[in-house]
Amino acid sequence: MKSVLFRLSLLVVLAAVLVSGCAPAAAEPVTVEVTRVVEVEAAPVEVVVTATPAPVEEEIFRVAIVMPSSITDMAFSQSMYEGLLKVQAEMGGPEKMEIAYSEGMFKVPDAAAAIRDYASQGYNLVIAHGSQYGTSLAQIAPDFPETAFAWGTSLDTFQAQGITNVFAYQAEAQEGGYVLGTLAANMSASGVLGVSGPVEAGDAKLFVDGFKTGAMIAKPEAKVNISYTGSFSDVSLMAAAAETHIAAGADMLTGSSQSVVGAIGVAKEKGAKWFGAQWDQTNLAPDTVAASMVYDWTGVIKDMITSVKAGVMGGKAYTLTFKNKGLVIAYNPGVEIPADAKTAAEAAIQGIMDGTIAPLSGPKQ
Amino acid sequence: MSNLLPTGQPRIEEMQMLGIVKRFPGVLANDHVDFDVKAGEIHALLGENGAGKSTLMRQLYGLYRPDEGKILINGVEHVFRSPQDAINAGIGMIHQHFMLVPSLTVVENVALGLKSSRGPLLDLERVEKRILTLAEQYRLKIDPHAYVWQLAVGEQQRVEILKALYRGAALLILDEPTAVLTPQEVDDLFLTFRQMVTDGHALIFISHKLHEVLDISHRVTVLRDGATVGTRPTAGATKAELAQMMVGRPVILQYDRPAPKLGKSRLKVNDIYVAGDRGSDALRGVSLEVHAGEILGLAGVSGNGQRELAEALAGLRPIRQGSVVLNGRDVTHDSPLAHIDAGQSYIPEERMREGAIKDFSVADNFILEDHGKRPYSRATFFDFKAIAEQTRKAVEAYSVKTPSLDTPLKNLSGGNIQKLILARELSRQPSVLIAAQPTRGVDIGASEYIHQRLLQQRQAGTATLLISEDLDEILALSDRIAVIYEGKIVGVVNANEASVEQLGLMMAGVAETHA
Amino acid sequence: MGDLFTLPVLLGILYSGIRLATPYLYAAIGETFVQNSGIFNLGVEGIMLMGAYVGFFVGMTTGSLWLGLLGAALVGLLMGLLMAVVSVTFKAEQGISGIGLHLFGMGLSSLLFKKTLGGVESISGFQPIKIPLLGDIPLLGDVLFNHNLLVYVAFLLVPIAAFVLYKTTFGLKVRSVGQNPQAADSLGINVAQIRYTTVCIGGTLAGIAGASLSIALINLFQENMTNGMGFIAVALVYFGSWRPGGVLVGALIFSFVNALQLWIQVKGINLPSDLAVMMPYVLTILALAFAVRRARQPAALSKPFERGEN
Repeated sequence: MKSVLFRLSLLVVLAAVLVSGCAPAAAEPVTVEVTRVVEVEAAPVEVVVTATPAPVEEEIFRVAIVMPSSITDMAFSQSMYEGLLKVQAEMGGPEKMEIAYSEGMFKVPDAAAAIRDYASQGYNLVIAHGSQYGTSLAQIAPDFPETAFAWGTSLDTFQAQGITNVFAYQAEAQEGGYVLGTLAANMSASGVLGVSGPVEAGDAKLFVDGFKTGAMIAKPEAKVNISYTGSFSDVSLMAAAAETHIAAGADMLTGSSQSVVGAIGVAKEKGAKWFGAQWDQTNLAPDTVAASMVYDWTGVIKDMITSVKAGVMGGKAYTLTFKNKGLVIAYNPGVEIPADAKTAAEAAIQGIMDGTIAPLSGPKQ
Repeated sequence: MSNLLPTGQPRIEEMQMLGIVKRFPGVLANDHVDFDVKAGEIHALLGENGAGKSTLMRQLYGLYRPDEGKILINGVEHVFRSPQDAINAGIGMIHQHFMLVPSLTVVENVALGLKSSRGPLLDLERVEKRILTLAEQYRLKIDPHAYVWQLAVGEQQRVEILKALYRGAALLILDEPTAVLTPQEVDDLFLTFRQMVTDGHALIFISHKLHEVLDISHRVTVLRDGATVGTRPTAGATKAELAQMMVGRPVILQYDRPAPKLGKSRLKVNDIYVAGDRGSDALRGVSLEVHAGEILGLAGVSGNGQRELAEALAGLRPIRQGSVVLNGRDVTHDSPLAHIDAGQSYIPEERMREGAIKDFSVADNFILEDHGKRPYSRATFFDFKAIAEQTRKAVEAYSVKTPSLDTPLKNLSGGNIQKLILARELSRQPSVLIAAQPTRGVDIGASEYIHQRLLQQRQAGTATLLISEDLDEILALSDRIAVIYEGKIVGVVNANEASVEQLGLMMAGVAETHA
Repeated sequence: MGDLFTLPVLLGILYSGIRLATPYLYAAIGETFVQNSGIFNLGVEGIMLMGAYVGFFVGMTTGSLWLGLLGAALVGLLMGLLMAVVSVTFKAEQGISGIGLHLFGMGLSSLLFKKTLGGVESISGFQPIKIPLLGDIPLLGDVLFNHNLLVYVAFLLVPIAAFVLYKTTFGLKVRSVGQNPQAADSLGINVAQIRYTTVCIGGTLAGIAGASLSIALINLFQENMTNGMGFIAVALVYFGSWRPGGVLVGALIFSFVNALQLWIQVKGINLPSDLAVMMPYVLTILALAFAVRRARQPAALSKPFERGEN
C-alpha cells in the first residue's frame, strides 16, 4: 500500500517535471526547438520556415547557447539571443546556421549538463551565457577539442590553464552607464536619481558605478541613490525598490537584470523616467523609457564564427564598447529629451571613444 | 416506567446484531456473530486481542459496514453508513483511545459536529448550559471551559461520556473504559454506569479484565477468533470459566511463587532526574534497588514516568542527575551497548518500534543484538547455519508460532513477537532484566507463558524490574511493589502485604508513610 | 542613522510594506486554513504562478480585470482540487506532492507564457481607490487608505479568516480535523470533505495572491515572477502559529523589514547590500526558531487520515 502511494506521488512529481521540462530541460530536441523558436520570434527573421530545418549540409554552422534567464527577459539573455538571430539572418537562415538554446538555467549543474550535451552532439560553437558557468566550462572544454566554447561576462579564456578552445566576452557596461548617467542627471528636475541593481557584482555593478560617475560629473550636486535587491528575478522587490527611490525624491530611475520589469511598471505609474540597460526596454512602457543601453553582440558572434571556420577555436577575449559598436544608446523617440541633455550624452560617448573620459572616474586631465 | 431517559431521549429497548460477518483481506474478523443488549442492562463483551470485539462494535457505530448480517433497533432494521447514522439512532461510543481534540475546550469538543442553533455560527453558550445540566443529572463534574489537554484522564473520560449523552445516546458502547484509570477512578466510573443503567440506558462493556466484567455486567458474551463462544448471565460465573472460554483451554490465573532467594544488589538507581519529550523532567528523583532473585514491580497510571525510566535504564535516554549502578559498575552515562555488555536485558514497551524490526525475518530479529558476536558471525561474516540453528532452538524453546524462520516479523501475532523478543533477551542469561509492559496487547495464553518465564528467570537469580500498568500482573508476579506518580516513587511495599485499595491510593499520588 | 528615521522614510516603509505584504497575506491565510485541517500544501508557489499568469492573460485579452481575477481564483481552485485529490483521496506523501504541484505550476505558467505572450508586456491593473474621509487624513491617509482593492481585501481577509476559524461550526470542524481526525470522524464529521474544502480555499486564495501581483501591484507577468513567495507564505503560517493574526504579524514584519532594508540602501547607510537583503530572511529564521509555538501545530499535520487507525 505504502509503496503504491509513494509511486503515485512520484508520478505527480514526474508529470510536473515533464511540464516544467519544457522550460529548463537539458538540451534534448534540438531541431524541434529551433523551429518553434523561429515561429514565435518571427519578427527579426525574414526566412519562412517550411518544415524542419534542411538536412545537415557541409557548410551549416551549429551554435548552441545556455543561459540563465529566458530569451524574452528584455535584458542579458535576450540581447545575446537576438544577436544570434540577426547573424543567422545575415548568413542565410536556418539552412546556413542552426541555433539551439536552453533557457532558465539558474542552476549551474543543470547548465553544465546542457553544455556538455551540446558539445557531445557536435555543435561548432557552444555559448555559456553567464559568468557563473565559468568553472564548469573550464572542466568541460578540454574534453571537446573539436568544439569552440564561449562564455561571459568575463575576459578569461582559460589560456593560463592551457585551454585553447574558449572565447570570452564582456560588455563594458560602465561606458553605457556613464552616458545614461549623464543623460539622466541633465534631465532630472529633482536632482535625485535612483538605481536598483540585482547583485552587487559583475556586469550590474559596472553599469551602476558608471551611471553614478556619469551623473556626478554632469551635475556634481546631484544625488544618486543605489540599492540592490539581492536577486536577478525578484520582480516584486525590484518594484518596491523603485517605489522607495521615488519616495526618496528620484524622478530618473535605472537598473539592470530581468527583474527590472517590475521597476519599470512603477516608474510608469508614478510618472518617473526610466533608463534601460542591456536591452531596449521601450516596448514595455513607451512613455517612460527615455533611453536604453543596448548590447549588440553581432560583431562578437560573427568574429567568433569566422575564427572557428578558420580553425581558431578560442583564445580571444571580446569586449563590447561604444568604439566597436557593441554598445549602442537607443533613444526612445516617444520621450522628449532636452537638446542640451542629448548633446551632453553624445559628448560623453565621444569622450569615451577617444579615451578622454574614463567611465569609472571621469574626464582625464 | 417512563419511555424517556433523563436526557429526554427515547430509550433503546433492545438492540440486536444478527449473523454479523466482517472480512478483511486474509482475515475473517467476525464470523456470524449474534449480540444483543437491552435497556437497563450492562452486557459485557469479552475476548482476547484480535477476537473481533472492536470490529463488531465499530460496525454498530457505523465505522465499518458488515459484509453480512443485520442490526435491529427496537425490532427495526438499521443500516449505518457513518457514525452520524449511528448517533442519530441513539448509539454512542466511548473509545479506548479517547476521541477528543486536546487543543479545544470541553465545550468545543462537545459542540463539534453538532448542528448549531445559529446556523453556521457556533452557539457555545447554549451547549455549555446543556453540558452543565447533564453533568448534574449524571453527577459528572467537569469545567466546561477547561482545555482537554489540561484534564486528567478520568476527567477526559467524563467528557467522552457527556459527549455521547449530549448526542442523545441511549445505548453506550464502552471500549475498555478502565484501561487507563486507577482503581478508585474505576469505582467512580462504575457508579456512573450503574446510575445510567437504572435510568434506562443500555450499556455494552468491552474488557479483558475478568474481575471488572464479573463486577459490573449482567450478561457476558465471549468471542474467540471472530466467533461467538457463548453468552451467559454473569451471576454465578467465575474467572476461571470465563478465561477458559476466551482462550479455549484452562488457564492458570494464580502462579506458584516460592519465597524469593534474595541475592546481592544488582541494579541500584540513585535519585535520578530525566527529561521527558517536552523538555521538563519526567523523572524527579527516582531511587530503586533490585536484588538478584527478586521481581520488583513498578506500578502506576500510564504517563507518570514509566516509559522514561525504562529508557533511561536501557541507556536510551540521558540521565540529567543521579546515578545508575549495574552489577557494581556505574553505567549512568553509558551507551545501550554498554548496558547489554554489563549483563542487562531490556524488553521495551513499544515492541514494534524499539524491540524489533517488523520487516526483518524472525531470524534477523533474533540476532539483532548479538549479530556481531559468535556464534552468529565470524570475522564480520554471518554464519547462517549457526544463526538458523540458534533461532530454531529459541523458537522451539519459547513456543513461538511462526511459519518459518524467514517469515517477516510483521506477519506474526503480537504474542508471538513478544515471545521472540523474550527468547532473545532471556537466552542471553541476563543478570538484570528490565521488562516494560511485557504483556500489553498480548493474549492471555501468551501472557501466561511470559509470566511463567519471568518467574523461572527469578528462580535462576535474575534481578527483574517489571514495569506495568496492569495492577493484576504486578500483584501476580512481584515480590516488592514500588508505585510511581508524577516522576516520583510514592512508596515501596511488600507484595504480600499490599492491598489493591492501598496501591490505588498511591497510584493517585497519596503518599505512603511507611515503606 | 538619524537620516533613516524621518517622517517621509517611515511613511515610505509603511506604504511599501503594505503593498509587499499583500500577496503573502492571500497565500498565507489560505495556507492557514489548509494546515489547520491537517494538510501541508507546499505547492502554494506553483498555484501563485498559475494565478498570476491566468489573471494577467485573461485580464489582458478580455480587457476585464474582474474576469482576470475570477480566472486566477478558478485556476487556483482547480489546482487546490488537484492537491486535494492527491493528498486526501490518494493519501500521497504531502511534501512531495506539494513540490510536484509547485514544479507543475511553474512549468505550465512558463510554457503558456511563451506560447501566448512570448515576451513581457504590461497591463493597467486595479487602480488605487481613495477611501472617503480616512483617505484625507494628513500623511497617513495616503499611505494607508489609498490602495487598490486587492490590498484592502487582503487585510480584511485576516479578521474574516479568524472569525471563520474560531466562531463558526465550519472553523471548529477544520481545527478538529487537523488535530484529531479520528475524533472528528467518530462524531460524524466528514474528514475528507472538510479537507477538500480547505485545500480548495487555500488554492483559490493562492491563485488570487498570484493575480494580486500580476494585475494589481506589478501589472505584468514574467516567468517565475513569484520568486519563492509561496514558500515564504508557508513559513509565515508556522511563524503565525497557525492563527490568522499571527500570520498578519509575520507578513507585516517580513514586508516592513524588506522595505526598511531598501531604505537603508537608498539612504546610503554604510551597510553592504548583501547584508541588507538578508535582513528579512535572517529575521524570519530567528523568529521561526524562537517564536513558533509548536504546541499549536495541528497534531495531524501532513498525516493522511485512515479510518479505524488509532
